Amino acid sequence: MRAMVMLWAAMAAYGADGALVAKGAAEERKACVGCHSLRISSTQRLSRAGWEKELDKMARWGAKITEREALLVYLVDKYGDDKPVEALPRSADGVGR
Amino acid sequence: MGLPLLGQTGRPLVFPGKRSMLVHNDFPEDLEAPTESLDSFLTPVERFFVRQHLPRPRVDVGQWRLSVEGMVSRPLTLTLDELLKLPQHKLPATLECAGNGRGYFRPSIPGLQWTKGAVGTAEWGGVRVAELLQRAGMDGKALYASFDGADVGAGQTPDFVRSVPMRKCLDADTMIALTMNGKPLPEIHGAPARLIVPGWDGASWVKWVTRVTVAAEADKGFYFATAYKYPKLPVAPGGAARPEDMEVIEAMPVKSMFTSPGGGTAANPARMRMGRVPLAGFAWGGENRIARVEVSTDGGARWLDATLGKEDFRFAWRQWRMEWTPPGAGYFTLCVRATDSAGRTQPIEAAWNPSGYLWNSIERIAAVVEG
Repeated sequence: MRAMVMLWAAMAAYGADGALVAKGAAEERKACVGCHSLRISSTQRLSRAGWEKELDKMARWGAKITEREALLVYLVDKYGDDKPVEALPRSADGVGR
Repeated sequence: MGLPLLGQTGRPLVFPGKRSMLVHNDFPEDLEAPTESLDSFLTPVERFFVRQHLPRPRVDVGQWRLSVEGMVSRPLTLTLDELLKLPQHKLPATLECAGNGRGYFRPSIPGLQWTKGAVGTAEWGGVRVAELLQRAGMDGKALYASFDGADVGAGQTPDFVRSVPMRKCLDADTMIALTMNGKPLPEIHGAPARLIVPGWDGASWVKWVTRVTVAAEADKGFYFATAYKYPKLPVAPGGAARPEDMEVIEAMPVKSMFTSPGGGTAANPARMRMGRVPLAGFAWGGENRIARVEVSTDGGARWLDATLGKEDFRFAWRQWRMEWTPPGAGYFTLCVRATDSAGRTQPIEAAWNPSGYLWNSIERIAAVVEG
């Protein structure tokens, strides 16, 4: 459900490029989650060049990225260096669990 | 306050054994302590930050062994029970991630966007590394020991291995810790054994240690040969440095922070009432003791000495406090700066560097005093 809302928001915000952004979002879920959750991407704010370097590094470390351009467009659209930094989320109390 | 965080199942995300933490990542866990929760000299495990490069390994303590090999005449393979029978050492020491504060650098830098809470202090207990190296019959020509943990990355992700120069390995306070605040090391903090390199960046404090390799050279893997390096000379913000112009981070710089108030920005200032306002926090100086902490309540125009806490250890942070009576209602900029025993103090702005390490700018807190 959250993914669908994100997809809709991405498409609404991006008009003609919405399909590419949506493809990039799907690629992120496919290519990245084997090694880490996606939260680590969502807290960063990088330029396209910055995201390019990150994808290069991840590819060297074994990430299978097939839709690289879509993934880049998505990351810059959502987590570009012109996007506001959001407050970090807090976990619930886990003591005693 | 952050938003309530939902895990993949839709239930609130919790980390067993941890209070509410700022979540940078949930797999692997990278958790920051909210600054206002850091209010005691020893940081309770439940508030202690967590940094993991690779997914947490599942370590069967019964099967776990620590080996000491390489340039040694008597290689060792030790069980936890055998380690516990060796002479034990205890030490309060502050652990800080080299990237603590990375989130404040502009232009922004890839990596975890830590703010202030990737730091904590615990009493660590265990066996001196020097003790192990002597028992193993270390070759006097060895220059490094490399420490490998049980954690491994997926795909071609490099293994997390860190080298420590022999002069630091042989320091009487460098140890393989088996306890944290008097209890067995928790799994998330490296059980059953982690390396303690007092005063040095957290990356050196390898968790889930299984192998110590004594060698004439440092490890050539990514996490020592490439990562956790800092430019020898300053670079322009957003610029680059050649690999040969970078050096390995060792001892941490001098730094101080507020924990009361826990934070405050121009957009979201700390709010307080007229009367006596308790200001408090910590200061630490890598391998040096803290000599002085000064506080300003007017943006740095006038500085007053804070009272230092009684716990004064070389490798641990020092608590400081000051009672402030605001002269009236209004908007104030609170600052704190520390000086260590070597005379080092904090810069107005920490030098931007390509990986965003060693942020130690003089902290500024925006505060509104209500009448």
